[in-house]
Amino acid sequence: MKFLIVVLVALASVAWADEKCDILTRLKFKSQWNRAYSHGHSREDFAEAIWRAIFAQAPSARDKFKRVHGEDTSHPAFKAHSLRVLAGFDIAINLLDQTDALKAELDHLEEQHKGRNIPDNYFDAFETALLHVAPAQLGRCWDKEAWKECTELIIHGIEGH
Amino acid sequence: MLRVLVLLATACLVASDSQFCCSAEDRHIVEEQWDTLWHDTESSKLKISFGRLLLLKLAKEIPDVNELFKEVDIANPEGGKFSAHAMRILNALDMAINLLEDPPALDAALDHLADQHQKRPGVKKEHFKKIGEILHTALPHVLDDYNAMSWKSCFKGILSKIASKLNA
Repeated sequence: MKFLIVVLVALASVAWADEKCDILTRLKFKSQWNRAYSHGHSREDFAEAIWRAIFAQAPSARDKFKRVHGEDTSHPAFKAHSLRVLAGFDIAINLLDQTDALKAELDHLEEQHKGRNIPDNYFDAFETALLHVAPAQLGRCWDKEAWKECTELIIHGIEGH
Repeated sequence: MLRVLVLLATACLVASDSQFCCSAEDRHIVEEQWDTLWHDTESSKLKISFGRLLLLKLAKEIPDVNELFKEVDIANPEGGKFSAHAMRILNALDMAINLLEDPPALDAALDHLADQHQKRPGVKKEHFKKIGEILHTALPHVLDDYNAMSWKSCFKGILSKIASKLNA
């Protein structure tokens, strides 16, 4: 009996360690994200910081945003666009604990990105930007691993691979 | 007090079309009252339920709407597809409210939403009028502080801008 319990516990912890963006990590990420995402002007600043960090890493990515004035991150059309993108990301994060709805949203986002020929390194630039701006916004109380694992889960869903 | 209200109402009527009488103070009030809803980590569940109720009520009042939301599986409102869609709609409202204090960016965001709805044949201006009515009935149920004047004046502008590219 004892042996069985030990084996079970061992198995459970293996399973636990295996899933990186597990349910507890999702909840943590979600609550920290809600704090970083903020509202009003400070949300606009958060979005602008992320986009400037993206373009600093991948200047050629600006070409993808010609229609929404990607040459100037403080242009109203670009501000609106950057907030739209973050809003899509926000939906996915908020659905992390609701499997079916999360699946539907990731499929929807994948559909929206299809055909735009977005190279993987642009998504990497987004992740890096986010992982640098978030702690600047949150200070000490943030868990880098949690953000990394769950952000990657969402990005992979959007990329479709 | 009454005199001030009358004066304010007149000022709104006189204001030009583009100035849809949603003053800086109105915007601030709306943003602050809305923000009180989203402090909990579980707020996404509230967002989904609220969005779901909003759309189902619209479909009940104007049954033609059911057809328009067929693609997102309105027949199965508790399902993942419709839940995600309810969340998307609520998030669009959230984005608009959070941009109230930046009118040029708000305008760009609403213009994009207008384009997205123009592409959907069958979507009509009256649907947005109804959504406005439903919102004004529903919001006081979830918000302890609800300043009807501010919300109405700001939402009139938001919803009519989103519906501005529709023919009917």
